[in-house]
Amino acid sequence: MRFMLLFSRQGKLRLQKWYVPLGDQEKRRLGRELVQTILGRKAKMCSFLEWRDLKVVYKRYASLYFCCAIEEQDNELITLEVIHRYVELLDKYFGSVCELDIIFNFEKAYFILDEFLLGGEAQETSKKSVLKAIEQADQLQENIDFQMRLFPGVLVPNMASESSGLFQN
Amino acid sequence: MSDVVERTLTALPSLLSSDPSPGRPSSTSKLGTLIRGITELTSKHDEEKLIQRELVSIKEQVSSPNTTMRQMKELMVRAVYCEMLGYEASFSYIHAIKLAQQGTALDKRVGYLAVSLFLNESHELLLLLVNTVLKDLQSTNLIEVCMALTVVGQVFPKDMIPAILPMVEEKLNHPKEIIRRKAVLALYKFYLIAPNQVQHIHSKFRKALCDKDPGVMSASLHIYLEMVTEKPESYKDLVVSFVTILKQVVGGKLPIDFNYHSVPAPWLQIQLLRILSLLGKNDRSTSEMMYEVLDESLRRAEMNHNITYAILFECVKTIYTIHPKAELLEKAAKCIGNFVLSPKINLKYLGLKALTYVVQQDANLALQHQMTIIECLDHADLIIKRETLELLFRITNGQNVKVIVEKLLEFLRHSKDDYVTIDLGGKVTELAEKYPSEMISNSLWCMNE
Repeated sequence: MRFMLLFSRQGKLRLQKWYVPLGDQEKRRLGRELVQTILGRKAKMCSFLEWRDLKVVYKRYASLYFCCAIEEQDNELITLEVIHRYVELLDKYFGSVCELDIIFNFEKAYFILDEFLLGGEAQETSKKSVLKAIEQADQLQENIDFQMRLFPGVLVPNMASESSGLFQN
Repeated sequence: MSDVVERTLTALPSLLSSDPSPGRPSSTSKLGTLIRGITELTSKHDEEKLIQRELVSIKEQVSSPNTTMRQMKELMVRAVYCEMLGYEASFSYIHAIKLAQQGTALDKRVGYLAVSLFLNESHELLLLLVNTVLKDLQSTNLIEVCMALTVVGQVFPKDMIPAILPMVEEKLNHPKEIIRRKAVLALYKFYLIAPNQVQHIHSKFRKALCDKDPGVMSASLHIYLEMVTEKPESYKDLVVSFVTILKQVVGGKLPIDFNYHSVPAPWLQIQLLRILSLLGKNDRSTSEMMYEVLDESLRRAEMNHNITYAILFECVKTIYTIHPKAELLEKAAKCIGNFVLSPKINLKYLGLKALTYVVQQDANLALQHQMTIIECLDHADLIIKRETLELLFRITNGQNVKVIVEKLLEFLRHSKDDYVTIDLGGKVTELAEKYPSEMISNSLWCMNE
């Protein structure tokens, strides 16, 4: 995958993940133009687009557009499913996700995206593993916070994961 | 002893009346205020002013020595948000790296995230990150190791690969599968940006392919797809393994949470199909090993869900790429027919694409569906129209070239997109060269465009 963009119906960018090295100006310009092109398409049109020299797959979920640009040899339908899977993961994590969740907790959305897609390829096809990895990271944070509140002023303890009971299968 | 008791007692009241869990920042956080501030404004000019003010305040706070890591995390999140909206916040890059270095758990995670979002591979500041990553890879805390491997797999300077390679290799043997999986993907990234650096560890990739955890195995397939694309001959001996794996997946032998809407591991199936198609191309004996499993996949993917269509499409492509076999070709042709005739617009598009792909081998198929193709020419959706024109371009011969060129020119006249115009214009000129006599009147039109 080359990049993934999430944007609202007004064209406001909510999330962007680039898997190819491009300059900042380039990214901004590309993003803007692509957003305009997609917003201009009607509801019943094809979800696949050949835009410039890219293949673009997009889908709208409620008020949010999920858009991915893929390589020449990639399968378009499977990318639609990648988008769907990502939405399912977000839904499971936030519990009935809505656009506001993604806006206010966008760093969490990024964490989930990174667990699912690494370097542009789907790394983990098991929904359970992705969510478990995120939950365990959250759990670690909560454990540390709890300890910090119990003993304020003590330097943050280095928690070996075995002792905190994490990564239990 | 009493001193511990005293500290616990003083801490108790704040614990009992604790605020909501820190994992979910409530909308009263500074980010929330910023976002709400932006949505309330109406003009772009106001938004710019607000963001500039915000950036100035962030800049002050990041440079102050009194900011804690927790506050720094909050500042980084806001900086990422501003950058996303298109404003420049490059002063924060160095602080993101510092945060990744000095923070713990969530702070470190946000630091790494900010680094992967701000910087790209050729940025100089990335070199500062290398030490942090090295340290984290050796940490006893597995989550930190995961974070480091995630960032390595996304953005890492090419020249520092030798420094980190041995440690990543070591992680390939780790008892936890999530770490092995991330290590494989980090190596995949290295292979993409610097293939000669990872030449010596191909045997380790084989081990990953046979790993008992399906996640690690599917991660290794990414590497294999790249390697097989480059040099299919060296991997012919692995055909048997790939076929066996695909058989097991299609037969439902994987653990149930790899199922996606009751289809077993579709991404895995598609990767394997692609690898097999590359290995079987122009090679009869190898292709013969695959016929059975391809037949099985076609049969199993009969349900009506988008994902099964994806698998079918990939199967069809594979069948047409490898050494042909009559029954499989028939079944694949039927599949394509179903796609093209389907009322769902996405499937129509894919059917047309598939036809374009196979028309060199089997021109009859296109003729069978010519009514539908002609309908698609007048479809409301420009993308379908373009794809139909592509298809027609492939099936031009002496008789129909005039009609086809006319249609192409008509489309060109209405098209506003430069890229499309250049592409189609090129095609028209190509046809003009191939069929000069029929094209004389049309070529005058060409000159005018």
